[in-house]
Amino acid sequence: MTTVALTLVLLVGAYLVAVLEGWTATGRFRPAAPLVAGLALFGRESLVPRRADRILFETAPVLLLVSAVLAAAVLPLAPDLVVVDLATGALFVNAAWAYVMVALVMAGWGPNGAYAMVAGWRFLGQLVAYAMLIVMPIATVGMRAESLAMTAIVRSQESWWNAATQPLGFVLFLLAAMAVAFLPPFDLPTAPGELAEGVAGEYTGVRLAVFRLARLVLVVTLAAAVAVFYLGGWLGPGLPPWVWSAVKTLAVAAAMLGAGRFVPRIRTEHLLEWTWKLGIPLALMNILWVALTLWLGDR
Amino acid sequence: MIWQPLAVAFFGGIAVWFGVAVFRTRSMVRSALSLLASMAAIGGMFLAMEAEFLGVLQLMMMATEMAIMAVFMVMYMMDPGGLGQMDMSHQKRSSLAAGALGGLAALGVALLVDWGPIAPAAPTAGEQTRALGIEMMTRSLMIFETAAVTILVAMIAAVAVAIGRRR
Repeated sequence: MTTVALTLVLLVGAYLVAVLEGWTATGRFRPAAPLVAGLALFGRESLVPRRADRILFETAPVLLLVSAVLAAAVLPLAPDLVVVDLATGALFVNAAWAYVMVALVMAGWGPNGAYAMVAGWRFLGQLVAYAMLIVMPIATVGMRAESLAMTAIVRSQESWWNAATQPLGFVLFLLAAMAVAFLPPFDLPTAPGELAEGVAGEYTGVRLAVFRLARLVLVVTLAAAVAVFYLGGWLGPGLPPWVWSAVKTLAVAAAMLGAGRFVPRIRTEHLLEWTWKLGIPLALMNILWVALTLWLGDR
Repeated sequence: MIWQPLAVAFFGGIAVWFGVAVFRTRSMVRSALSLLASMAAIGGMFLAMEAEFLGVLQLMMMATEMAIMAVFMVMYMMDPGGLGQMDMSHQKRSSLAAGALGGLAALGVALLVDWGPIAPAAPTAGEQTRALGIEMMTRSLMIFETAAVTILVAMIAAVAVAIGRRR
């Protein structure tokens, strides 16, 4: 029952994110556009490039979808609306997101295309940039909850949201989440206008439909994760818990999609410089800050 | 509980299968990703043995590690795509011998070491995480730190070799 509910939530969420993305990208609100575009993809021929590495080419879109769905499986939308409440949930989402990179490297290498390959390796560089900024803020969230279970992390925010007590971690995690989902300005592996859609460039028809759906689901899970880790998840007055989760997730998704439209795409080496020279020291400071506040709070 | 040993055997079989596949392909990327699949299957074995933290950690770490290894393999090998039908293996006899010896040593350790009494049931996932954390911060601290610094040095050396001499 929970699984069915979660699948529906993910599909509706992916649709809403697609509408939002279209709105922020083009400035026009077209609620039917994602459905029409999705159906059109199913009607088109799905080509396989010449001398492609067929196994990697076919696996990549499916693996991307699987990793996004697996991450969603541990995210609680309400106290009882979670597929598996793992004791290591906060680590598990990381594990699931790690395969996003594997899928993109496969999609880059598989089709035997120059642009795709450049894009795939680029995303690996992007992982080197964002990985620490995903893990370190999650560590501090776990420190406050004294648990890696997602439901415990939400319950630890009953007095104050983590976004209020660890603002630095919140900002770093939000930016890193945008980099995981390769949203602008971190859209290096697709880079429209430069790499001609990069990793997705050689995909057409049904395979492209799966790839796009997977990316949308990924955005939904990342936004939901930001809500769970930093914005109190399902907690909130008046409304039912799942409504609060939905509202927060959509708000985060809108912020992620909207913010990127106002900044130019960042270059790989600049991204690595910023994340390693500024981001990681800030993330370490955040760990120290949270440790100190927790220690002083206990005394 | 017939399912538990079956699941362990299933993931073990997958791990061995992909482990063989690593050496059966000429494509460096396929080889690295086969190794990843093998390691991920070992993560599945951990999960099947109710070692939740170790299983999830294995799944997470190996994804990034193997992808980075793929970069180095593509960087250094002359025919990374394996399309040129070039034989990139060497020292086959000594590697066979080393492999056999390593396997025998692992088997010896598994059979000869006194593992102590078998626990009737696995501790809960939360307790395991806590116990691992305490182990990491006490007895195993030096081992992990030494390994980490060694790997870091190797990475810096590899990058330095790749960059070559600069003016």
